[in-house]
Amino acid sequence: MDSPLHTQLCDKLGIEYPVVAFTHCKDVAVAVINAGGFAVLGEALHTPDQIAADIKWIRERIGGKPFGIDLVLPSSVPEEKTVDELLAMIPQEQRDFEQQIKRKYNVPDPKVAPDIHHWGGLDQKRALDQLEVVFDERVPVFASGLGSPAFLLKRAHELGMQVWGLVGKPRQAKRQIEAGTDVIIAQGYDAAGHTGNIGTFSIVPQVVDAARGTGVPVIAAGGVTTGRHLAAALALGADGVWTGSLWLTSRESDVNMPLKERLLEAETEDTMYSNCISGYTMRTTRCPWHDEWMSDAAPAVLKPPLQMILSSNYIQGSLDYQRKDLMTEAAGQGIHYVKEMKPARQILSDIVEEALDVFDRFSA
Amino acid sequence: MSSTDSLPESSFCAGYEPAVRNLEAECDGGRPIEGTHFAGRQSFTGRLTGHYRDYGPYPWRWYLLGSLTRKPDGFVHDAVWCDAESLYPVSDPGRTIEQLCRTE
Repeated sequence: MDSPLHTQLCDKLGIEYPVVAFTHCKDVAVAVINAGGFAVLGEALHTPDQIAADIKWIRERIGGKPFGIDLVLPSSVPEEKTVDELLAMIPQEQRDFEQQIKRKYNVPDPKVAPDIHHWGGLDQKRALDQLEVVFDERVPVFASGLGSPAFLLKRAHELGMQVWGLVGKPRQAKRQIEAGTDVIIAQGYDAAGHTGNIGTFSIVPQVVDAARGTGVPVIAAGGVTTGRHLAAALALGADGVWTGSLWLTSRESDVNMPLKERLLEAETEDTMYSNCISGYTMRTTRCPWHDEWMSDAAPAVLKPPLQMILSSNYIQGSLDYQRKDLMTEAAGQGIHYVKEMKPARQILSDIVEEALDVFDRFSA
Repeated sequence: MSSTDSLPESSFCAGYEPAVRNLEAECDGGRPIEGTHFAGRQSFTGRLTGHYRDYGPYPWRWYLLGSLTRKPDGFVHDAVWCDAESLYPVSDPGRTIEQLCRTE
C-alpha cells in the first residue's frame, strides 16, 4: 500500500515527503532537499547577482534534485518618495518615543546603521530584475510569496518551470488557479510574517474546494510545526505543508544563536500580530519594542516605511550586540512545538514519523 | 480601446483604458517591506481612474486605483497602483479587470 504521505505533490516534484521548507538559509534548503523534502529559498531581499550565486551554490549540492526560489512580488505600490522626504515625514513625537525606548532598555546603536538610502525600489522594476535571474537559471519552481504570478506564467511554463502562488484568501486562490498557477499555497493567519486574516484550518479546505477537479495541488501553510499538523493538513485535503518557523532553529540555520535561543523559548502567545515593527501588520515574536508600542503611552504607529525606519536601528542593534532580550523575528503560532535545536534531516524525519503514527492510529 | 504611450527613461509603458474608468474595485495589495525580507499585505477599495502601466516583457499590468474609500491606517496617498490580477471588481469579483475590458 502506498504511504499516506505520498501525494500528488510528491509526484509533481519527484520528492519523498510532502514537506516544503521555506527558508532564507541555503544550508537548510540543501539539507531538507537531500533528506527527501522540498525547499524554497526566500530571495526577496537579494540582488540578481546574489540570487544567481545562491542558485549555483544549491545546485552544486543537491545532485539534480528540484528546488524553488521565492520572491515577494508586489501587488500594490503607492507613489514613491525619496528617502530624505520620508525621513522628514517622521513626527518628533515618534522620534522621541523611539529614543525613550532605547534609553529604557539600553538598546545599543548598530555597529553599522541600516543604510536606508538603499531602500526603495522594492517595486516592479526590482521584482522584474530578480525574475530575470530565475528565468535565466530555469529554476524548477518559482514561488510568489505575495502578489499574483499570473503575468509570468506563460514564460515560466515555456521554460519548463512550475509557478506556485501563496494566497491568504479563497478568491485569490480561485483567480490564480484559473490563470494556470501550478500549485497553490493556502496560508492561514497562524503563519509568520504577513498573513491574511483567515485561520489555517478555515482557509485550507476552502482552497482545496476551489482546486477540486483542476489537478492543482494545495499546500497548507501557517502554524505547521509537527507531524500532527502534516496529518491534519492532508486530512483537510491538502497535498503537503509549507513550513517556515520550524527551520529557524535548526542546526544548519544561519539565525544567530541568541535569537535561536529566544525562538526555542517562545510560546504561541509570544507571537504578536502587530504593525509596530514595519507599519504593516505581521506576526513576529514579542520583544520590548512591541510592549512599548502597545502601551497606553505610545504614539500612533507610523505608516510604512516610516515605522520601519524607526524600528530598524533597534532591530539591528539587538542583532549586532547579541541582545537576546531585545530580539524579534517573524515566527508562526506553531513555534510552541519548536523546542530543540536539531539537524534539518532529523526535523523532517520527526515530522514524517509522527504523521505516519497518526495515520496508523486511525487505520487501526 | 486603449492607448499606450512609451515614456522615455521609464521602466514602464503608460496608457489609458476608458472601459474601466470609474469602476469600483478592491485590491488585495501589499509589497515588500523595506530593509527586510518580509512583505506586508494591504487592502484597498476605490475607483479605477483608467490609467495603467505595463512593466516588463509579459507585460505586467498595473491600474491606478483612486478615490479610495478603504485603505490601511496611516496610508496618506489618495491613490495606489494595483497589479491587475490583484484587483476584484466590486460588482463582479469573480472576473478580472481584463475580462471586463473584453466585454465592454
